[in-house]
Amino acid sequence: MDMPARAAEEPQSRLDRMIPNESELTAGVRIEPGKSYGFFTDTTLCIGCKACEVACKEWNNLPADNIGLTGQSYDNTGALSANSWRHVNFIEKAGACGVRDNTQAPFQSGWLMMSDVCKHCHNAPCLEACPTGALFRTEFDTVVVQQDICNGCGYCVPACPFGVVDLSELDGKAHKCTLCYDRLKGGLEPACAKACPTDSIQFGELEDLQERAEKRVAQLHELGAANAYLYGAPGSPGATGDLGHLNAFFLLTDRPETYNLPPAPTRAANRVAPSLGTGLAAMAGLALAAFAILSGRD
Amino acid sequence: MSERLASELGPQEQPRVPPSASQASAPGRSAHWDGPTYYGRPQLKAAPFNNWVVGAYIFIGGLSGAAALLSAIADRARGHEAAPVVRRGRFLSMLAPTLGTSLLIYDLHTPQRFYNMLRLVKGTSPMSLGSWILVSFSAFSALGTLAAEAARWMPRFPWLRRTARATQLPAAVAGAGMTTYTAALLSATSTPLWAAAPQSMAVRFGSSSLAAGAAALALGNTGRMGRTLDKVALLALAAELAATCVSHNTYRRTGVAPALNGEWGKVEKLGATGLGTLLPMGLYAVSLARGRSPMLSTLAGLATLAGSATLRVSIMAAGDESANRPDVSFRFTQPRNLPKRWFRR
Repeated sequence: MDMPARAAEEPQSRLDRMIPNESELTAGVRIEPGKSYGFFTDTTLCIGCKACEVACKEWNNLPADNIGLTGQSYDNTGALSANSWRHVNFIEKAGACGVRDNTQAPFQSGWLMMSDVCKHCHNAPCLEACPTGALFRTEFDTVVVQQDICNGCGYCVPACPFGVVDLSELDGKAHKCTLCYDRLKGGLEPACAKACPTDSIQFGELEDLQERAEKRVAQLHELGAANAYLYGAPGSPGATGDLGHLNAFFLLTDRPETYNLPPAPTRAANRVAPSLGTGLAAMAGLALAAFAILSGRD
Repeated sequence: MSERLASELGPQEQPRVPPSASQASAPGRSAHWDGPTYYGRPQLKAAPFNNWVVGAYIFIGGLSGAAALLSAIADRARGHEAAPVVRRGRFLSMLAPTLGTSLLIYDLHTPQRFYNMLRLVKGTSPMSLGSWILVSFSAFSALGTLAAEAARWMPRFPWLRRTARATQLPAAVAGAGMTTYTAALLSATSTPLWAAAPQSMAVRFGSSSLAAGAAALALGNTGRMGRTLDKVALLALAAELAATCVSHNTYRRTGVAPALNGEWGKVEKLGATGLGTLLPMGLYAVSLARGRSPMLSTLAGLATLAGSATLRVSIMAAGDESANRPDVSFRFTQPRNLPKRWFRR
């Protein structure tokens, strides 16, 4: 078993101090400003334990959204929201009331689980839409809402092509995953990735993660899971429409829509120039025509 | 229907199957989405705007901008004859800085921080650009209105009249921005109905604003000024109708048309296009053919104004429906809907 090199230095179970650069121990990566960090969520490893949801709520002090049952498999969170920054999807492909197949293709082909999160897009539509500058790109190449600046205009909510950002009814500000900005600053791995017991959620430097993900896809193809593919890595579905790549990307085994993901999201800001240009040109034409009519002899 | 006991179910009857997360595995090529959804849950979040408040702002902002634009044109084209129309245009242009701004601040969820809208200028955010358009339009139209009204009381100071005239052109340019930036604001989102037709929606909002502005300036006006303003309104309504046809064609092509089958879609078709565009076009045409009938023109003007307001509210509400329906949003985000230059694979 491979253990991080520094793990042996910290044998005690109770600590009287912070471990410097703890992420080296838990994720095998040192967190340094100026580099790109992200999540690689491998859905073939997800067991649907929701430890990520709990760890996120605990660390970020997020209140409960609802305590009802949805009747939609084990998914009682429903969707990402202002108070839920991780959300585990449950998809029962073999009929819930029918007879289950005795033989199934390998790697969770009959029951899909996926821990959804803010994608921290390279060209993030929420950030580009924010009129106050409350949404900004951090030194770790992640996208965060500054709570002391947000005035709750809500424009980032429809801007997001993934339906992630949400306004809180409690404080009237926009909220979403921060990729644990505060933890990264302290050299800690994000709470969800640290809590994930199967390493379905992996935190790391983006280039490392992308490389690791491609190897995992190749490995799965070899093992017979031919439908495994990446969503949000450069050149794959999800990284379309000028969004660039997604800093939080996924390994999926079914169509993106099955996981409530858009197959070809687009960058909303690319529609500003065509819309504004055409509108102003039309107004210029109409103004000229109005001038001709008004100055005409009647 | 009341709940039934399992023992009452016949041998062939199955208990109701909960909606599967993926009933279908792959979509066909049909216009309606027949691929998988996640329990029919929304894939997007609808805009948290109050459609009545923001719809009213878009209408008022467009009306004010068009009034400033048209009064500047009327002043240049007709000079002294247009003075009453120009004065009414100045008062109408004060609607956006006063009522419009209040509506926008009211719709913020943290309104006490409204001034953060002016922290920066961001070209990718029509809401940021729009805030600056609104601020500059407000400044020019308020200065112009104050100077023009002061000049009426103090004719001995010619610089007042010169100031009022100097603000006309910048107010008209900012006014043109006021009529259309709101369409860009809605289009630069991921809401399928708004994102589907950025260009034709901008023309639609702009021409609808111009028609509303001309109708408001023409109301109660007799003689030549009223007749020519009626013609401008008729022209703008014709442009709006053309843009409406183009956008509905785009909605069908990109698969977001089902979002307009609901209640608000009917309001958009019957209210905004039928009663708000086609009806006043007919009324204006008949009125002008008869050498301007005051009653028909007034009716047409009121229908135009009501239609312009209905258009904004119904487009906002139908947009929310398109965001809440995963069948519409998944059909819209199929790779075949990507513009070619955006398609990176």
